[in-house]
Amino acid sequence: MIPRYQRILFWVLAGAILLMALVLLRGCEQAREKLTRHRDETPLAAPVAAGSASVHLALANDADGTIILVDRDLALPTEATARARALLARLIAEYSYKNSAHPIESGPAIDDVFLLDLPLHPPVAAGPKTADQQSASPAAPAGSDLTAEPQVPGGQLAVVNLHGTFADHHPSGIEPEMLTIQSIVGTLYANFPRIEQVRFLVDGRPRDTLNGHADLLRTYAVVDTATGTAQPTVQEAH
Amino acid sequence: MIPSRKFAAVLVAVLAAAAAIAFSVHAQPQGEIPMPEQPPSLPASLLNHNLVVLDPAHGGPDGGAVLGDHILEKDVTLALEMRLRTALSAAGFTVVATRDADPADPLTADQRAEIANRTHAVACIVLHATATGSGVHIYTSTLQPSLTEDAGGDFSSAFVPVPWETAQAGFVSQSQRLSGDLSSVFSKGSIPTLAGKAAVAPLDNLMCPAVTIELAPLPVPGEDPAAVTDANYQQRVAEALTEALQAWRDHADPIGMATPASAEDSAQSKAIAAAEAAGLAAARARSQAGATARPAQKGTQ
Repeated sequence: MIPRYQRILFWVLAGAILLMALVLLRGCEQAREKLTRHRDETPLAAPVAAGSASVHLALANDADGTIILVDRDLALPTEATARARALLARLIAEYSYKNSAHPIESGPAIDDVFLLDLPLHPPVAAGPKTADQQSASPAAPAGSDLTAEPQVPGGQLAVVNLHGTFADHHPSGIEPEMLTIQSIVGTLYANFPRIEQVRFLVDGRPRDTLNGHADLLRTYAVVDTATGTAQPTVQEAH
Repeated sequence: MIPSRKFAAVLVAVLAAAAAIAFSVHAQPQGEIPMPEQPPSLPASLLNHNLVVLDPAHGGPDGGAVLGDHILEKDVTLALEMRLRTALSAAGFTVVATRDADPADPLTADQRAEIANRTHAVACIVLHATATGSGVHIYTSTLQPSLTEDAGGDFSSAFVPVPWETAQAGFVSQSQRLSGDLSSVFSKGSIPTLAGKAAVAPLDNLMCPAVTIELAPLPVPGEDPAAVTDANYQQRVAEALTEALQAWRDHADPIGMATPASAEDSAQSKAIAAAEAAGLAAARARSQAGATARPAQKGTQ
């Protein structure tokens, strides 16, 4: 014979289980409703039929250190910064393919690309700079003054914001790092004639090197890259 | 009364003359520094023809690239530096290295450049290693040659302050010539080379013919490539570099006024090396003391 207190305890526990199951089901329903409501409230951009266009990719080759311009047909956004971001994302994706001549681990690489009209006008400082602020600003080498007039009217500065994971997992070495930078600079130059200079950020902040070697604090002049001896094929193409 | 008038007139004249002189001195522009008639000139030859600076990159917490199972770039560059130092010393060079071990608190790139710039070395070699590519990669600065160098390298005509960030600009042509010489010797030794330009610290801050040597795996026909840790491969590279630098020291000079390597030059090199050892110790001491200021000669090189 089961004692009475045990029967009472059994039914109490069974009731509690039932109650918890009901609460759980209700919670799931509420979460689902919330997600659905949020999705409904998300503004959707009107679809735009972007026709595919021929673009130039400056592809690097580790074996001989060259950069070759190749043509690809891509459907790209019409807005300039989104177009540049998609173009560079495609460029890096080419390097993650099997048998790539410049292998890079796959994953998100380009966070943003900003196109700024030159010359840049430095903000008026509210007060004197502290020593920390002065040391935090990277020193641009001579000849790359961002406040100077551009070489051609309408010249632009491209600021490429890289993902930190991309930089951290990039093959380390002077050759692979410089080829990646020259590849990005060459691709921008080949598709955006207004771009004169390129700067790099990693996760929105200045970083000394890509992965221990290539300098990321300097401003890369696109013209110099196109006429450099390290890129004979780019030079021929322009 | 008349003498007192005369005295007053003389006094007024003296005061007026003194005021005029004082005004003329005060009216001189403040920012204009009177220049001597003969500006200070640099020594006839900027380069010490028996002295080579070796800079094995990375070190301490900065291991550089990972080149295999638990093999770090900093160890490979140090091993290559030791082989190169031995070969260069045997060839009569005095070698100044920015590190001889793996210090816990290594020098910064600016401090390494500071050491190199004090020596006026005939060549500055920055050593790196990578697992990518093949053979030896030789890089020079991405800076454009300076106007002084284009004008014939007449450094003796006037002392021109050089910005720290572009200190290498005056030596870019020399560096490219050195790179070409090195490529030729490596090719003679059947070691494939790749020459180019790279934005790598501290290349742009060096005031000497400077190249960066990046060691990559050596392709061997029919076999696996020789790794950068291969002792024979490193020795071949060290010997080729020594041979090229021996030829280089006889014709490296930006102004064409250098004297051939001599016993006097060698003694001077050893004196500089001794002074440099003291400077290296001082730089390390400053580094350990947390000194983060830029080198003292910044902008005045």
